[in-house]
Amino acid sequence: MARILSIWLPQLPLDRLIRRNDPRIGGPFAVVREIKNAARLSHLNSQALKAGLAPGMSIPDARAICPDLLTDPEDPLRDAALLRALWRWADILSPRIALDAPDGLLLDIKGCAHLFGGEQNMANHALGRLADMQISARIGIADTKGGARALARYGDKEICAAPPGQMHDALKHLPIAALDLEASIVAELAISGLKTIGQLYEIRNGELARRFGLALTQALDTSTGHAPDPITPAAADPVYAARMSLPDPIGYLSDIEGVLERLATSICERLQREQKGARRFRLIVRCVDTGDHTLSVGFAKPCFEVGPILQQFARPLSALKMEFGADWFRLLAEITEPVRIRQSQFGETRETEEQLARTMATLGNRIGFDHIRRFASYDSHLPEHAFLQTLAHGPEQPERWQAAARARPIRLYQPPEYLRILEPGRPPKKFEWRGASYDNKRSQGPERLTSEWWRARPEHVRDYWQMQTTSGLRLWLLTFPGKSPPEWFVAGRFA
Amino acid sequence: MEITSPSSAALPSTYTLSSPKNHGAITLGRNISLAKGRVHEIQGDSAESLALTIANDVSGPIIWCGMGRQLGALCPWAIQPFIDPARLLLIEGVSRAEVLWAGEQALHIGGAACVIIELSLGPNLTESRRLQLACEENGAIGILLINGRTQSSAAETRWQCDALPDAPLTWKWRCLKNRKGDLRTWRAEWQRKINGSYTVHLATAVTT
Repeated sequence: MARILSIWLPQLPLDRLIRRNDPRIGGPFAVVREIKNAARLSHLNSQALKAGLAPGMSIPDARAICPDLLTDPEDPLRDAALLRALWRWADILSPRIALDAPDGLLLDIKGCAHLFGGEQNMANHALGRLADMQISARIGIADTKGGARALARYGDKEICAAPPGQMHDALKHLPIAALDLEASIVAELAISGLKTIGQLYEIRNGELARRFGLALTQALDTSTGHAPDPITPAAADPVYAARMSLPDPIGYLSDIEGVLERLATSICERLQREQKGARRFRLIVRCVDTGDHTLSVGFAKPCFEVGPILQQFARPLSALKMEFGADWFRLLAEITEPVRIRQSQFGETRETEEQLARTMATLGNRIGFDHIRRFASYDSHLPEHAFLQTLAHGPEQPERWQAAARARPIRLYQPPEYLRILEPGRPPKKFEWRGASYDNKRSQGPERLTSEWWRARPEHVRDYWQMQTTSGLRLWLLTFPGKSPPEWFVAGRFA
Repeated sequence: MEITSPSSAALPSTYTLSSPKNHGAITLGRNISLAKGRVHEIQGDSAESLALTIANDVSGPIIWCGMGRQLGALCPWAIQPFIDPARLLLIEGVSRAEVLWAGEQALHIGGAACVIIELSLGPNLTESRRLQLACEENGAIGILLINGRTQSSAAETRWQCDALPDAPLTWKWRCLKNRKGDLRTWRAEWQRKINGSYTVHLATAVTT
């Protein structure tokens, strides 16, 4: 029989603000969420509850009751980040932890509880540690996932533990809403006069299923332990970060680089151990007078070595202006990818590869990684759509270039440049372009291209001509047939 | 590669006088010799033809630095007969200084055996000397594509490339300046081989 401990964090958004010492929490305060197109209160502090407010009220109603109410819109991203941090923290209780988003954690504590001196002591310990972190929580312990969740949320005590093998009795007095069913089923059951889980035991499963659907019987079976419902433990994705706070601010570049080196060393050791590399590193420097400065550097391929990190940070660090120094640093590795740490080859290939990656990182950090691109072919018969420029920074995508089907000019002018016809013809015998006049010596064409037929608004049919001028210049001329007088353009220049 | 050598004596091979390292040379045909680890300037309407022929001769990635307008007009399907466009890395600078900086860094750090820097005004002595020094470190060949005015520079050679009107895919490559060799004019021609790739055919040298 498994033993599951469910931690419920009912006030997570408020706790996050309390942890930040938000001054608004002192009075009536609520976190607001948009429900059914209206901003409604979702989490309230004790003063707000005392003033007679309740979750689900709209803001105008709440303000009418309690004019002093202060509100803050919800921030699900930050709340999720806090929950994930707690997910990593919960490792101290049990190694098998699952996230129970948006406001809970599920721990499989079988074989762990005795380390804390029993389940009750373990729960007390967890609550104490959470209280130290200014986070309010409720805990339910049961044989099943559903049971533990129900006890944590609807139990009468802060820590509600069901004795092993007695799930039936433990859940008897809880309301049906504790089964985590859809609201419509709960409402339907309430209409039928069924309010507690205990009342459901007296009805035959088949009848319940026929009347209210299989979801109800299934939830009942898994909660009472008749059907298996194991938790799927997952480790929180690791955060590769290191921070350092100093008793006194430092301001010399060499000192800051020393700090950076230590931070980078500790991160890189972990990255190397787990065979990972990061594409971006972010350094937060907290200056005593001007607050946080975030510097970030990117890499053309996942990096797990200290040297390149120091090298790439050298420029942004030297550009950082600080008067009174900084006393808090945090280095964070972002966009981590697995790397295969290979034995260094003898040959020059590997060296060249590393050099190229370094070149790209150096250039990218200065002029932007969006300014480093590669060509990618694209399946289109229109010359200007037959290729793309894609970012070179990113996982390698081997590109196969087939032999060009038709001759294309090395420079493709976008848009085509208008030319002035001096002596008409098809193509013109003499014309002026970019301030110089050219004579047609030999021309080849037309290469007729229609627009892509699936486009809603088709473009003109185009005729392209390859022209050899007497001066040697080879041009690609463009005209749209059917236009009178004919207009000619220079679409490109051949090498 | 087919070539008929000019009647005069063969070109002296690249030799080192002032520079610390000799990185060898790229030989196009039998007697166009372009020293590696040096900067070469190319101008003219068909400057890309010589630049891509040189790029064809080196292995590994090739870096092409230029302004957005110049790189945006580049068509990879025209590059494909010369080199695989997947080898090309485009570096876009927003100003002439940034393009020069990017080119210098690319030559300095290494990783690409050939760095093509496209400029509308040729480098002056200081700029070209910096590029030259960066080139010497790794032995990469630096190519300056100049589609405008040139200035007096520290480049090893300067070439004027124009298309010849008498036949398609033929060019006149004229060496305007060569610090360690002769000034000559070549007639170059692309010939399609059976497997679909092109090869340069450097025919009789045209004496100017």
